[in-house]
Amino acid sequence: MRDPDEELVLRVGAGDKRAAAELVRRHLPRMVGLARRMLGDAAEAEDVAQEVFLRVWRHAAAWKPGQAKFETWMHRVAMNQCLDRLRRGGRNAGEVSPETPDARASATRALDDRQRRERVRDALQALPERQRAALVLCYYQDRSNIEAAEILGVSVEALESLLSRARRTLKTTLAAERADLLSGLETG
Amino acid sequence: MNEARFMELLGAYGADLARWPEDERAHGEVFLEGAPHRIKDVWESERGFDHLLALEKDVPSSIALETAILGAAPGRRRVGWSLGLSGWPSVPRWAAGGALAASLALGFAVGYAGEMQSAPEHDYAKMLTVSGGGASAVFLTAMNDVGN
Repeated sequence: MRDPDEELVLRVGAGDKRAAAELVRRHLPRMVGLARRMLGDAAEAEDVAQEVFLRVWRHAAAWKPGQAKFETWMHRVAMNQCLDRLRRGGRNAGEVSPETPDARASATRALDDRQRRERVRDALQALPERQRAALVLCYYQDRSNIEAAEILGVSVEALESLLSRARRTLKTTLAAERADLLSGLETG
Repeated sequence: MNEARFMELLGAYGADLARWPEDERAHGEVFLEGAPHRIKDVWESERGFDHLLALEKDVPSSIALETAILGAAPGRRRVGWSLGLSGWPSVPRWAAGGALAASLALGFAVGYAGEMQSAPEHDYAKMLTVSGGGASAVFLTAMNDVGN
């Protein structure tokens, strides 16, 4: 199957600014979303996205169609940037159990959308980084299992194991709020 | 597809079969259709959990970020004038020199006219909006609304 970004990347390599704008329009929100979910920090996520595109601009002229899918390559660059930053910062580097969100869990009536989002976001941030990476790629970035495994440099079996553990951990973390979150969704 | 594999995939990829491995989706669908209630209950529960995860939505990226990124994008390379003179052995030196001077003058003129016609390098926000808008256009509209 032809890479949908192939022509744009070649045009970017030839210095076509409109192609660059289209590539940014197509991929920037996803790159920022990936980095924000991995790092939990909007400003740092923007730095990662910028770094990813700088690499695109640097390598576009040498891009060889028919090798890795361009979008997969971008995801790999972004994910590596995030994992490097997490390790450099010493944040969430080990496979630690997530903490149960604080006392807010007890005051769970009438949560608004923003609060619900924040709770899910907190629970995601509490996941060990590899589990979070697997979930972010497969669930939020819509990568196939093969692509996600390739990006993370693991086998598909290992990816499935990471995903299962991520979902199990999140279910435990959000257990107290889950009924409220879902009842809010149904009534809201 | 057996029950153990179905539950394994459900636990990893969730209830939306579109996220399952491509070669197992159809088998999963058939299995779910004929599955007992206890399996369907687990599937429903996973579906609810998927909805919960979906609350963490993407947010539009900032126009300042887009502008900064596009500001660093490579521009067109100018080629052509540096080629060729050495490939004209029959042309006398003085003529080659004249041609070089003329071509340089023409190059400057064409380059200047080209610059005048092309979008300013810094005007990327406009370029984004013109080229289809998307999130940028929505963001700009939202900003205008806030401003009003």
